[in-house]
Amino acid sequence: MIHIHDLEKSYADTPVLFHISCHIRAGEIFGIVGHSGAGKSTLLRCLNGLEGYQGGSITVMGREVQELDEEGLKQLRREMGMIFQNFNLMQRKNVFGNVAFPLEIWKTPKEKIRTRVLELLELVGLADRAQDRIQNLSGGQKQRVGVARALALNPKILLCDEATSALDPQTTLSILELLQDINERLGLTIVMVTHEMRVVKRICHRLLFLEHGRTVCQGATDDLFLAPKQDLKRFVGDDYTLSPTGTNIRLMFPRELAQQSIITHMARELNLDFSIVGGRLDRYRNDVLGFLIINVDDRRLESVLNYLQEKNLFWEVLDDDRHLA
Amino acid sequence: MIATLLESLDPLVVELIEALFETLYMVFFSTLFSLILGFGITIALITTAPHGLRPNPRVYAALDVSVNLLRSFPFMILMIALIPFTRLVAGVAIGSTAAIVPLTIAAAPFVGRILEGSLLEVDRGVVEAARACGAGDTQIIFRVMLKEAMPSIILNIAILAITLLGYSAMAGAIGGGGLGALAYNYGYLRFRTDVMLYSVGILILLVHLIQTGGNFLYNRLR
Repeated sequence: MIHIHDLEKSYADTPVLFHISCHIRAGEIFGIVGHSGAGKSTLLRCLNGLEGYQGGSITVMGREVQELDEEGLKQLRREMGMIFQNFNLMQRKNVFGNVAFPLEIWKTPKEKIRTRVLELLELVGLADRAQDRIQNLSGGQKQRVGVARALALNPKILLCDEATSALDPQTTLSILELLQDINERLGLTIVMVTHEMRVVKRICHRLLFLEHGRTVCQGATDDLFLAPKQDLKRFVGDDYTLSPTGTNIRLMFPRELAQQSIITHMARELNLDFSIVGGRLDRYRNDVLGFLIINVDDRRLESVLNYLQEKNLFWEVLDDDRHLA
Repeated sequence: MIATLLESLDPLVVELIEALFETLYMVFFSTLFSLILGFGITIALITTAPHGLRPNPRVYAALDVSVNLLRSFPFMILMIALIPFTRLVAGVAIGSTAAIVPLTIAAAPFVGRILEGSLLEVDRGVVEAARACGAGDTQIIFRVMLKEAMPSIILNIAILAITLLGYSAMAGAIGGGGLGALAYNYGYLRFRTDVMLYSVGILILLVHLIQTGGNFLYNRLR
């Protein structure tokens, strides 16, 4: 759907993106994740030509974005909806007028606009608010209007620029559910820029992590979070103060094992004492996954590792990077 | 009927009414024409501005300087300097109609600036959103920026009309007539303080009406 190859971008003489390459597949929810200033919004804006780039290539649905002329860009944007952190709705149009705007731009006949807008408002759950003024809506409702507007022209791709960052956790969740629903029902490809890890884990299939304009890592969400590399650990604040004595082991719970009581079972079977250093269970899309870091006596290490091997668990001995923590 | 009504009135009252209509005539048309001319300048300014739709530093700098230059001319001087041009456009060099020409020319760069201010207030994110759904520059200017900025534009039009009301008083110098000229001719030159006070009173009323009307529309549109 979208191929980014060796992309480079700079503002005047300041480079902001370095050698970014990735492939966004049709029908997936792809996350571009990073702290503020990492260049993720800039990258997103390159996808629909709101920003240009200096090196490398971006092809969207087979078209090289940089090579499109004015008309070509408009056509491309017609096939790519976009939603924003601050919603960016027109204050002087009501809900209906905002959703109708892209259709008016593309000279859709009046009756068609009417049916399409009402259909979209139904989809985002605002069917009864068509005549409301934007000022009278809550943040979540404004973003729903944003989503309806972005979908008005039946795009193939939806770009989300920090779409939930201005919303409270509960509202964030409802918008994410809406996006997931759209992704599944309409088969829409969603590219989502965010700095919120819970958002990423909740709905993204695959991810690209950016830091200072460079790729930190990319891959499937659960892989990245269950066995994060050092860079990513620092990035997601996934560092634990490890005990200097004994051996620290990180156990990963992939989806089929997450519900079973491995740890207590192991303790009983090996007649073992250990301490728990840290751990977390998270909801990844529709699964609950997680990890646990335990500290065991060095003398018992071998039997523990054997047990883990036997049970086919994923694990990692952490003491190597103790000093990096 | 109106003629008989006017005959029955004090000749000074007739003069006051005539002056009022001359003032309204000058203010209305110079506001209208300067808006049309000035809006062109506004579009050129916001299009070529550093963060505009089509940034063009050279054109912007040239426009910027010209606007400032025209605005720094004292109106009195501009009016006299424009006499040949006025004769060309209006066919005459004196009178209310003739006064509309220098009033328009003097106000157009002012309009260019204040409307630029109004359009710059429009949230850049809203413009970006319009661009992201495939809107072109013309659509963005007319359907997004102009629409969103309308309340602020209305307030600025009120300011413009009041400014032109003040300028139109000076138009008396080239025989433009109006309340300003009346106040000057009777009140100052002939020591008719009452006529002067009436004229000024009507001017105060006009300013108040324009501003109230502007505020009313602003609140309706916001």
